[in-house]
Amino acid sequence: MKNNIRVERAIKGMTQEDLSVKVSVSRQTINAIESNKYIPSTVLALKIAKVFKKPVEEIFILEKND
Amino acid sequence: MSYCKVYFTFVKTSPHLLLPNKFKKIGWFIFIPSTIFGIILCINDFRAAWIWVRVFAIANDGTDSNILYFGSRLSNVTDTVVGVPFIIGALLVSFSKEKNEDEFIAEIRLSSLLWAVWVNYILLLVSFLLVYGSPFIEVMVYNMFTTLLIFIVRFNYLLYRNRKTVPDEK
Repeated sequence: MKNNIRVERAIKGMTQEDLSVKVSVSRQTINAIESNKYIPSTVLALKIAKVFKKPVEEIFILEKND
Repeated sequence: MSYCKVYFTFVKTSPHLLLPNKFKKIGWFIFIPSTIFGIILCINDFRAAWIWVRVFAIANDGTDSNILYFGSRLSNVTDTVVGVPFIIGALLVSFSKEKNEDEFIAEIRLSSLLWAVWVNYILLLVSFLLVYGSPFIEVMVYNMFTTLLIFIVRFNYLLYRNRKTVPDEK
């Protein structure tokens, strides 16, 4: 699964820190998700989508081998 | 927003079997000295007999070669005095929450635990095949503590690596 959190953040002018505070996780977690090292739980994915006010599928995208 | 609040109360109180963060510091204070004493005991081949106390035991050496069940007797408790704090300290260090405990850290924690059990049993397997006779007793002694030790090293290494690889933001 890939995601475009980094892009969405750039659009909103948010830092990783800002986003991590909004969804109550550490900055390492946001960084790990952005660099595809960690797949967030459904709850966290929904919360991130909520911050960007977009449906979750627009931010997290399934890949062929998923 | 209230949904998030409900989730976080749930996470805080859910039975993750983790202790509050403050126990981690207490754990280090117990763990480090008892590790040092443990190493001293290892150097002494576990023959140190500094502390003798009358203890109640489920099983103990009897007066002759018999085993004494459910009785009290003067015993060398040096190993106990070092081993018990070591285990308590290691448990506190291992299973206290991080300051910023979240789902990613929970995943690192679980994968480190899995890694530690794998490595521990591979080492034990190798020792089974290559160590025989009385030296094997030493393997058994070490093996009582290695799972937790390997876990602590692995988990903290992964935390450190993760903290380090997070780039500074522009």
